[in-house]
Amino acid sequence: MSTKHSKAAEKFLQDSKMAAWHNETLWMVRAKRDKMSKEVPEWEELRNKACELKLYSNSHLEELLLEFEKNATANGAIVHWAKDADEYCAIVYKILNEHNVHHFIKSKSMLAEECGLNPFLMERGIDVVESDLGERILQLMHLEPSHIVLPAIHIKREQVGELFEKEMGTEKGNFDPTYLTHAARKNLRHLFLNAEAAMTGANFAVASTGDIVVCTNEGNADMGTSYPKLNIAAFGMEKIVPDLDALGVFTRLLARSATGQPVTTYTSHYRRPREGGEYHIIIVDNGRSALLSKPDHIKTLNCIRCGACMNTCPVYRRSGGYSYTYFIPGPIGINLGMAHAPEKYYDNLSACSLCMSCSDVCPVKVDLAEQIYKWRQDLDGLGKANTGKKIMSGGMKFLMERPALFNAALWAAPVVNGLPRFMKYNVLDDWGKGRELPEFASESFNEMWKKNKVQGKEESK
Amino acid sequence: MSSREDILASIRQHTQTRYDQPDIADMKRLSYPDKIEQFCAISRAVGGTAVVLGEGEDVNAVIRRTYPDAMRIASVLPDISCATFNPDNLDDPKELDGTDVAVVKGEIGVAENGAIWIPQTVKYKAIYFISEKLVILLNRNKIVDTMYDAYRKLDGQEYQFGTFISGPSKTADIEQALVMGAHGARDVLVILTNTDNEMGDILQPPWRY
Amino acid sequence: MKVGLFIPCYINAIYPNVGVASYRLLKSLGVDVDYPLDQTCCGQPMANAGFEDESMKLALRFDDLFREYDYIVGPSASCVAFVKENHPGILKKEGHVCQSAGKIYDICEFIHDILKPSKIHARFPHKVSIHNSCHGVRELLISAPTELNIPYYNKLRDLLNLVEGIEVFEPSHIDECCGFGGMFAVEEQAVSVCMGRDKVKDHIATGAEYIVGADSSCLMHMQGVIKREHLPIQIIHIVEILASQS
Repeated sequence: MSTKHSKAAEKFLQDSKMAAWHNETLWMVRAKRDKMSKEVPEWEELRNKACELKLYSNSHLEELLLEFEKNATANGAIVHWAKDADEYCAIVYKILNEHNVHHFIKSKSMLAEECGLNPFLMERGIDVVESDLGERILQLMHLEPSHIVLPAIHIKREQVGELFEKEMGTEKGNFDPTYLTHAARKNLRHLFLNAEAAMTGANFAVASTGDIVVCTNEGNADMGTSYPKLNIAAFGMEKIVPDLDALGVFTRLLARSATGQPVTTYTSHYRRPREGGEYHIIIVDNGRSALLSKPDHIKTLNCIRCGACMNTCPVYRRSGGYSYTYFIPGPIGINLGMAHAPEKYYDNLSACSLCMSCSDVCPVKVDLAEQIYKWRQDLDGLGKANTGKKIMSGGMKFLMERPALFNAALWAAPVVNGLPRFMKYNVLDDWGKGRELPEFASESFNEMWKKNKVQGKEESK
Repeated sequence: MSSREDILASIRQHTQTRYDQPDIADMKRLSYPDKIEQFCAISRAVGGTAVVLGEGEDVNAVIRRTYPDAMRIASVLPDISCATFNPDNLDDPKELDGTDVAVVKGEIGVAENGAIWIPQTVKYKAIYFISEKLVILLNRNKIVDTMYDAYRKLDGQEYQFGTFISGPSKTADIEQALVMGAHGARDVLVILTNTDNEMGDILQPPWRY
Repeated sequence: MKVGLFIPCYINAIYPNVGVASYRLLKSLGVDVDYPLDQTCCGQPMANAGFEDESMKLALRFDDLFREYDYIVGPSASCVAFVKENHPGILKKEGHVCQSAGKIYDICEFIHDILKPSKIHARFPHKVSIHNSCHGVRELLISAPTELNIPYYNKLRDLLNLVEGIEVFEPSHIDECCGFGGMFAVEEQAVSVCMGRDKVKDHIATGAEYIVGADSSCLMHMQGVIKREHLPIQIIHIVEILASQS
């Protein structure tokens, strides 16, 4: 009884030292988040308001997106609409191609990952450079991010040192993070200055002003957009917020939840194209509008991609980002994958003990665990329920609905000195890896009660 | 139908319950008895420095004292006599590479997180990010409690680009080890002044978008 | 006030002593308590694994068994939370209005919030580490979830503080999951075992001799790890301490 996730997790845990480091490091990020959130007395009210704001904006998308389009256009930006990943990639390519761009610098965008933008552009001869340090490391290693905020959390400094020695000519054997970061600063400086176009994602798009808001700590988005005359921004349409006041709620939650900082170093508002330049904004659907019809899962669209649910998730911390089959891992990734293509990503549903920590940590109150529970109920209908689990569950149901039989099984249990048959299948094996089996009592509580042993004890006292 | 129409139709078709816009104006919010003290403390916490300009003290002297080795100091502010060049006189933002110190003006400080709102009042916004050290002048009477209060003040303001900056550029992408100076300024010094006039009439930038 | 004692299936089978202690504890506090015979399961294992429909009959049966009681009280926060949070939705599909959800309590919650005793005649001269179980914390709010910005409280700690001679600790990861999670424990065995081991070690690091909790399922999981690795700590259900000299 295993899933793609459970198998990959088992593999991840084999390197126990690395796995322990991964677990503890992400826990530290969670602890920093706790400390930071507790410095804001109105934290819980902020979460409530943020959730209400998202429910409002995501149920008024037509009005808000049109308002955004009107304002952004008046500001001099060129607004595009993309139905899906293909159209989004095609629009970016068309803009770049028309401007004869070969060197393209990009800041971190989960939307670009979602839509496979980099491979699409690179196949067409455009040199795409990721400018976020973590993303750049992974790009040079030909790897995918394993966390949405800390993309290279699974990479050790020695690996970075060896990579930079080859790519940037750093000193052999120097694995100091400060040294390596500054080497990348120097190396990327040249790429920033010479790119012909730059692209950012968006943390927020403000309907009332047409602003695109981008939050980074490195300043890579701002560096990238400061030299080329052609800039592009793209956002999934749930990134829309009604006005600047709403940002006064979200920007107070985002960095505190993500990394335990009071705010990101840079919170940049892009409103008009630079003098003599062009600013293109792409609004992307890619399945989001269809999710609006699922009331059980609509809150998935609240997500502001802070990654707090990953940092708190006891399973994510002990299995790593690559153990999930969807490109976004952790609790939000399980849900987004299911929202996107359940028949493809159902394997990730096993990666949850329903501890519900994610739901409580989420700054916009996405009911992550509750939704995982609901998606599990849909598996049987999809024909994707695990057979072993189904038989076991069915067997349990059969017994539990028949108290006489249930009690008989319990009566027999201590005799066979093991679990009742309904739990046998390969459950025993999987439990037995690392844990002793519980021992059945010689007499069940029900039996004791019938024999007046429970009440008797009380009376004899 | 265009994609735009398709998307809007899909939104109309799938939207179910329409939730009301919440009232966020009357929320309780953090407030600090001494905003300047809090601002200075949080600036240190985010890796920067904030100092209150002393009575009769010259901003240029503070900058020079803090960065004695700086060779290229950029500023468009008329009172920044320690500047070695005016970045608005350049023809290409790339020429800003190699700037040691940039001196710029902020409009709003945020006590809860040390962020300072800097609307673009220079020809090339690159100057806010590319210099090795960034000096931000801020009128200490313009510090508000929270981001919400700052955004209230931005309502109706015009800008081409604007950014909140809180401390130096940083990353922890290698093993979560915190390193200052990822791509932007390695060091940020905020000088809290008493009025805007000490810095000259910088509300009227020499260059406008 | 008539209280129906809810003894979940695995307590019935594996930890009947927890059931006995629950009964004696409630009796000692002057409660009119009864045990409706032939209880089986609340349906949580099936539902959490994705077979909520299989819990339907169990939920109906549960509601029927406890119909006549003013309160339903059980020594398992997770099972209680399942009845409280999930039975109404499950039964709604059948057009049945769940009666149990509004009157069910975890036993500690019940003693703490309803009975509010100023004294409990119990003595337990040992060091214990509280296991704040996920559903007890985040569904029943028996203690303040560490994720939330609300003042710290812990109803288990409050009750344990009434016990003579006891020293109470909590692990550094105060309310992190032990990795049980029903079928999760077998479906994701590698992660589950790792979580269990980490949790037990966190409890051991407090210097406690016992891990005390209000959820036998978590305790069962950690006991499996303790026995396999011969770790120097034992498990005990909180009612066994509270009833220890009553």
